[in-house]
Amino acid sequence: MISNNMRPRNTSQEQGNPLPALEAREICKQYRGTSSPALDNLTLTIQQGDFFGLLGVNGAGKTTAVSIFSGLALPDTGTATVLGYDVVSQAGKIKQLTGLVPQDIALYDPLTAWENLSFFGKLQGLRGATLQQQIERSLTVAGLVERARDQVTSFSGGMKRRLNLAAGLIHQPQVLILDEPTVGVDTQSRHMIHNALLELNSQGTTILYTGHYLEEIEKLCSRIGVIDHGKMIAMGTPQELLHNSNHKNLEELFLQLTGKQVRD
Amino acid sequence: MKLFVVAAKELLLLRRDRAGLVVLFLMPAILVVIITLVQENVMALTGQKPTTMLLLDMDQEQLGNIIRQRLESLNIALTSWSTTEHTREDLVTAVHSGDYQFGLIIPQGTSAALQEKARQIAGAAGSTQQPVTDDPVQLSMVIDPTLLPSLRNGVTAQLDMAAELLSLQYTMAWIQRSLAEGVPSSTDLTPPPPQQAETTSQQNNPAQPLLTFTETSTLQEQQLPAYSPTQQNVPAWALFGMFFTAIPIAGSILQERNSGIMARLVSSPVSQASFQLGKVAAYIGICLSQFMVICLIGMYLFPYIGLTPFSLGEQPLAALLVVLCSGLAACGYGLLLGNLCSTYEQASTVGATTVVAAAALGGIMVPVYAMPSTMQQVSQLSPLNWGLTAFQNLLVRGNPLTAVAEDLGKLVAFFILSSFLSWLISSRKRLR
Repeated sequence: MISNNMRPRNTSQEQGNPLPALEAREICKQYRGTSSPALDNLTLTIQQGDFFGLLGVNGAGKTTAVSIFSGLALPDTGTATVLGYDVVSQAGKIKQLTGLVPQDIALYDPLTAWENLSFFGKLQGLRGATLQQQIERSLTVAGLVERARDQVTSFSGGMKRRLNLAAGLIHQPQVLILDEPTVGVDTQSRHMIHNALLELNSQGTTILYTGHYLEEIEKLCSRIGVIDHGKMIAMGTPQELLHNSNHKNLEELFLQLTGKQVRD
Repeated sequence: MKLFVVAAKELLLLRRDRAGLVVLFLMPAILVVIITLVQENVMALTGQKPTTMLLLDMDQEQLGNIIRQRLESLNIALTSWSTTEHTREDLVTAVHSGDYQFGLIIPQGTSAALQEKARQIAGAAGSTQQPVTDDPVQLSMVIDPTLLPSLRNGVTAQLDMAAELLSLQYTMAWIQRSLAEGVPSSTDLTPPPPQQAETTSQQNNPAQPLLTFTETSTLQEQQLPAYSPTQQNVPAWALFGMFFTAIPIAGSILQERNSGIMARLVSSPVSQASFQLGKVAAYIGICLSQFMVICLIGMYLFPYIGLTPFSLGEQPLAALLVVLCSGLAACGYGLLLGNLCSTYEQASTVGATTVVAAAALGGIMVPVYAMPSTMQQVSQLSPLNWGLTAFQNLLVRGNPLTAVAEDLGKLVAFFILSSFLSWLISSRKRLR
């Protein structure tokens, strides 16, 4: 196990690699039937090796940004790239390089943990011994080796969340995109997920992490972006953000940036 | 290759869903047994729909007009074909393809032969002279093999009565003519001796009409199973079960879409077409299994409960092709349903309602020919009707595979159209 305060710092600049892991330039996206855009000229750069936390209130545009980088949605205007590949014209290549951990539990309940991972691994083109090794590795990361042959329907919420994460890493993606991966899980499972993510990041995986838990973001992420009304309103390392705003913690800063009014 | 990965996953999910599997296999199995048992004893049709008959009058004499008048008075919708445009073979083909229920051919010279027989019998009436003992004049009758026996027997009984009446009319006309010309002096009005009378009675059986309708077929060389509710119900209820797979397919799509699995699937390097076709491949296997289970029930269980055993006839591979095309249509509908509906509750309600409606329209529950004319037209739009017609053409009428090409084409076209629409809707929803 690695310690909680371990932070990855192997950014692309340090490696001399000019290609950003994720880049969005003036992206706009408005869903049909809505009066305001989900993303409004969003510009964002995440370097390779970053552990980037995307913060925002409900409906701020986090999930839309994640969807565009994962190939689930297309931008109306602007450009977005993943490791230099365009999300519109080179989506196929991007899907091989990225792993998505959706906000919802994206697993087949009637199948066992092993069968789920085997299916998602095969979709990524893994076969034979490689597939088996990756399944075992992912189960180890998720702490579910003992429950590999149990159906997901018998799992607790925390176990499902961990398996949900494992399914996103089955093909060892260079970029891992997580949309609120710790919603509704107990402290132990959250701790395990944090450690797993930090370990992956220390091994070079770029991580885009969206969430509501500010202390979690502060603990995990090397860089943070705050998004509101589809726009990036603040970005930097946690230290930079706190230093520039004279706030003691991220929560105060966040409330100052996004207001105290409840949003639904 | 990834298509098979998706198909294998679908089959694994189905294997775990035992209740769903029981419904998919047990429901058509129970229905085929119950409905066939019920129809075995309740064969009477009470519809007001006239029977359709095709007439080819090669005789072109007065007999044709008389028969035409008689048939029209029997609530038979008669269509007369011109002998210059159609042949006997055309008529047989039309009836055996299900366009008409009955076909009647009046051979050339029938009127003359009938007149001659009537004259001979009238001349022999009351005399001890040996009458002519030739067989009656025969009119060829072609009957659609899929007709329920009750309807077939009802119409043929009416035709037999009409034949007797015509025979009587012709004979009476000759007797009246003979009487008008004067009773021959040699006529002995005393009854013949018993021995002689018996011989005369045998040779000139008063119950034997001058005219009979004889069933003819170009398919007599084939060993077709005789019509029974079994031959109608086994493929019909197998089709019904197959189309019910649309509901689990739709459920599978909705579960993936509403749980977030779809997001993970779409973010993987697999095309949307592979996901859809993978599901189709898995459920085609289910459809084939359903058909085989229903066939086995028809073949081996039915005889034990007093029903006629089911027979796949001489074209089992052609029948499997119909199953395959019907399965494709059912899967296509499932994909469309899954992409159109928002929840499983919607899909199951809409799916069950539409499949039952399509089955009723398609002739699964009541033969199409027993429906009102408007409904017969509407039934042509039901994919279950296409599948059932194809099965009947192969298994009951004994037609070759080419005869069902149009129905198979419709089923495949339905699959292509519904799959394309599903893909379109799915893409629009995903990228909206």
